[in-house]
Amino acid sequence: MTDDIHNPQHCLEMFKKLSEYIDGELDTLTCKELEEHVKECVTCKSCLATLKKTVNICREMDTNPVPAEVSQRLKAMIQNMPRQVRTVQER
Amino acid sequence: MTTNRYRKKIRDTDTELVEAINAGKPELFEELVKRYEQKLYNFGLRMCGDVCDAEDLVQETFLNVFRYLKDFRFETKFKNWLYRIATSSCIKKRRKSKYAPERELSLDEFISKDDAQTPNEIPAWAQLPLDQLLNEELSRTFKEAILTLPEKYRLVVVLRDLEGFSTIETAQILNLKSSNVKVRLHRARLFLQEKLKEYFKNDG
Repeated sequence: MTDDIHNPQHCLEMFKKLSEYIDGELDTLTCKELEEHVKECVTCKSCLATLKKTVNICREMDTNPVPAEVSQRLKAMIQNMPRQVRTVQER
Repeated sequence: MTTNRYRKKIRDTDTELVEAINAGKPELFEELVKRYEQKLYNFGLRMCGDVCDAEDLVQETFLNVFRYLKDFRFETKFKNWLYRIATSSCIKKRRKSKYAPERELSLDEFISKDDAQTPNEIPAWAQLPLDQLLNEELSRTFKEAILTLPEKYRLVVVLRDLEGFSTIETAQILNLKSSNVKVRLHRARLFLQEKLKEYFKNDG
């Protein structure tokens, strides 16, 4: 599995930056370095692909509607709050 | 030079409404609630995993927003301020979740030391399009996995990847440095990635 290009230290450095790469937060140089690395290193390539998919699943998580009774209780709570929001004194 | 006193006011889609409430129309508060009720409820569910706790979180957050809205200085987007309040409610409760004891996640946990475990190809599930991958079972498993994350990592991944805040916004909400947000986010994602690997391994 491990070949000449698969330098553990370099792998570790790249491994630490995978999330920043996915988020487009790396500088151009590091970004290129990482792309070159994953071309050659199957372990990092696989890790990047699974991590990307994990992030995409996260971003696609469904949202639940608020149950009607929860909404009603919240509305009642708000209506019972003292109407005493002090007006802001403009400086 | 610029001081806090002269910091520029940040305007967003909530500014007018907040200004109107603060100018003496508290009845408009309901409109603010309508805008964020669902988001906060889902944030509560994702953080606590329990409908009663999620409801508590929504109520406490709006109570505090109502109480402190007059002090909001428009130095950040209203939504970010709202989540700051929601987050601190969440942290204050320090619910001792049976799922997620507080602990540090170390990078070592995610580095395979055994060559036999090192993948030599991209797993099939990671190559499938999302619409073929997502289903109720996976969604439930994934939500449960999020709840097993220690709280400080869960907060970051929920704010970043589920609520859609940027790194800088997340750092502001949690009062952390951006670099810390990035470190926690990476570890949280690796943790969830491991859970997915297990899920798909068992799934065949």
